[in-house]
Amino acid sequence: MNSITAIAAAPSPLEMGRFADQNTPLVRDCWYVAGFSDEITRDILARRLLGVDVALYRTLAGEPVAVRNRCPHRSFPLAKGRLDGDVLVCGYHGMQFDPSGRCVNMPSMPIVPTNANVRAFPTAERGPLVWIWMGDPDHADESLIPDTSWLASPGWKSVRGSFHMKSDYVAMHENLLDQTHFPFLHPGTVGTPEFARSKLDVRQEGDVIVIYRSLKNAPPPGIYGVPMGLMERRVDRFSEARFVSPALHTAYASVTDNEDPSGKAEVYRFNITHLITPETQNSLHYWWFNSRDRRLDDEAADEFLRSASEQAYLEDVDALEWISETVNADAEPQFDLNFAPDKPGLLMRRSIFERAAAQQARAY
Amino acid sequence: MKGQLIDVAVAGIRQLTPRIREYVLAAVDGAPLPRPAPGAHVELHTVSPLSGPVVRHYSLVGGAGLEDDAPDRYRIAVQREDRQRGSAHIHDTFAVGTRLKVSRPRNNFPLDLRDSRSLLIAGGIGITPIYSMLRSLVRRKRPFELIYTGRAAEQMAYADDVARLAGASGRLHFSGETAARHLDIRELLLRQSDDTTVYVCGPAAMIDAVHAAAGDLGWQEGRVRSERFTAGPSPDDVPFEVELRRSGRTLGVGRDTSILDALTVAGIEALADCRRGECGLCPLPVLEGGERIDHRDSYLSEEERAAGDTLCICVSRLRGGTLVLDA
Repeated sequence: MNSITAIAAAPSPLEMGRFADQNTPLVRDCWYVAGFSDEITRDILARRLLGVDVALYRTLAGEPVAVRNRCPHRSFPLAKGRLDGDVLVCGYHGMQFDPSGRCVNMPSMPIVPTNANVRAFPTAERGPLVWIWMGDPDHADESLIPDTSWLASPGWKSVRGSFHMKSDYVAMHENLLDQTHFPFLHPGTVGTPEFARSKLDVRQEGDVIVIYRSLKNAPPPGIYGVPMGLMERRVDRFSEARFVSPALHTAYASVTDNEDPSGKAEVYRFNITHLITPETQNSLHYWWFNSRDRRLDDEAADEFLRSASEQAYLEDVDALEWISETVNADAEPQFDLNFAPDKPGLLMRRSIFERAAAQQARAY
Repeated sequence: MKGQLIDVAVAGIRQLTPRIREYVLAAVDGAPLPRPAPGAHVELHTVSPLSGPVVRHYSLVGGAGLEDDAPDRYRIAVQREDRQRGSAHIHDTFAVGTRLKVSRPRNNFPLDLRDSRSLLIAGGIGITPIYSMLRSLVRRKRPFELIYTGRAAEQMAYADDVARLAGASGRLHFSGETAARHLDIRELLLRQSDDTTVYVCGPAAMIDAVHAAAGDLGWQEGRVRSERFTAGPSPDDVPFEVELRRSGRTLGVGRDTSILDALTVAGIEALADCRRGECGLCPLPVLEGGERIDHRDSYLSEEERAAGDTLCICVSRLRGGTLVLDA
């Protein structure tokens, strides 16, 4: 073998890589949202999370329980069974499992089999959300659950919604870190041309990617200007968006009205919470909240923010599903080009790649 | 159900006590092994030149201190029982590079992640599943108490590691050379909070004593969880013969082999699953010799055992002579 082929056979140390895409193994050691709190009730809910079918319910004491939605005996989906107190009863042969997943009765057997246990997943409830840990349970440290305290704070009012999307969570996070698409995909709601051209700053804080920008003396975007009655004003805008974890993206926006009749500058704050849980490698569950600290009792503002947010997110769903379909169906491969505005997305994709590479790829 | 076993090779051996050796088993293909939960064990399949194929169950230690083993490794600890040929065979013949097969991890002794407080009791080699539970509790910062008993520190595997990991929540109890200083189990249970779940692994007498003490104190069934390998071999096992009357064949069952394994080796595919006398798949009808059956299952009722006309061939044996099966 001559030296040229030897060099060609090894990967170039100068090749750029290590960015997560739709094929990167899902990050499992992470708290993800399993559902809105009020989705998890005494009626058993079946939901596929990170490729695993999970049955979700509440104990009589109100604690959320998550177990694998598959009887260890004949793979019957346990969510098709019923609850007897805190015990989940399989609908096929009546095998009974306590909230830890331990079999406590098998009616057709004279003894309780000690090996008939179903995997239980750690869960934790925070405000309107139930979180779940699909990775190694020993690492399910509840202090790692990211802060979403404004969702349960009396000083804030939230409207919310949810979607199912046939796209991967990497593309979803990249969409959320990419504000240059706003004026084109969301022209009626969040996008203004001035904002798209305003200077964007990026910084990385450990695993967290932060983008922020500000714009002085500009027209407000419709989504905030209309419900707060500011459309005729010139305002100062500030926004910060954070890739917090593979499960969460938060955006903090503020609009400062310097022309308030009181003579004082009035600040209107909005927190947008995007909760993303992969359903499979190429589909995801998505829950969102739009929270504000002003006009808490204004039902017209609720309705406007709900429908405007929903419209914007439906536009994102369409775009991401079209992209995913193209990426997965088009027979001719393409390596997408990257430009300056893609820096936050690339930092996020590198962070997800490194987290996925660090975890042990092991079956249970 | 063939083809479910995993090829491994001995990658490391460490003498833990005069009678206990640790074996690190590595996947031959280097691929990650299925992840074991705390309390899980594997079936270990090996071939003894004296007795032929041998199957033994060993709990997975899971790692060292707080560290997990590498994804392609399992760690077990084997205590040599002088009159038990399975463990002696392992001690005598396993060297680095020895090939064997293990099952996927099975868990008959799961640690409940929802426990608000746990009491771990280990006796002797029963420390192996308790060590993996301890690691999980410490990592998850859950309140617990651990008691590890043995005759003397130098005979107790992982005593230093366990004591260090458990810190102020752990205690070693030395029962002395004649095992006369018994642990006061009643006193131990009495001072537990009402929300404590107990996990005990060790000699059968100790497990029975913990269950009995909990019963005396009126504890709810299920608060004491135990792992017992009573289905395993006993020093008094003797070889015997099995006649399969319908097939017209007679097989020898060695001291280290089960009837199930003798049948399987002879090409007779009996039905079985759990190999520990629980699932009830393997019982065969007995025509003669029923009065000499040593029942070791937990599936058959007292009446069925007394009748002597069936047995779980995965664990139960004969006290010598010939067993005639309708097979």
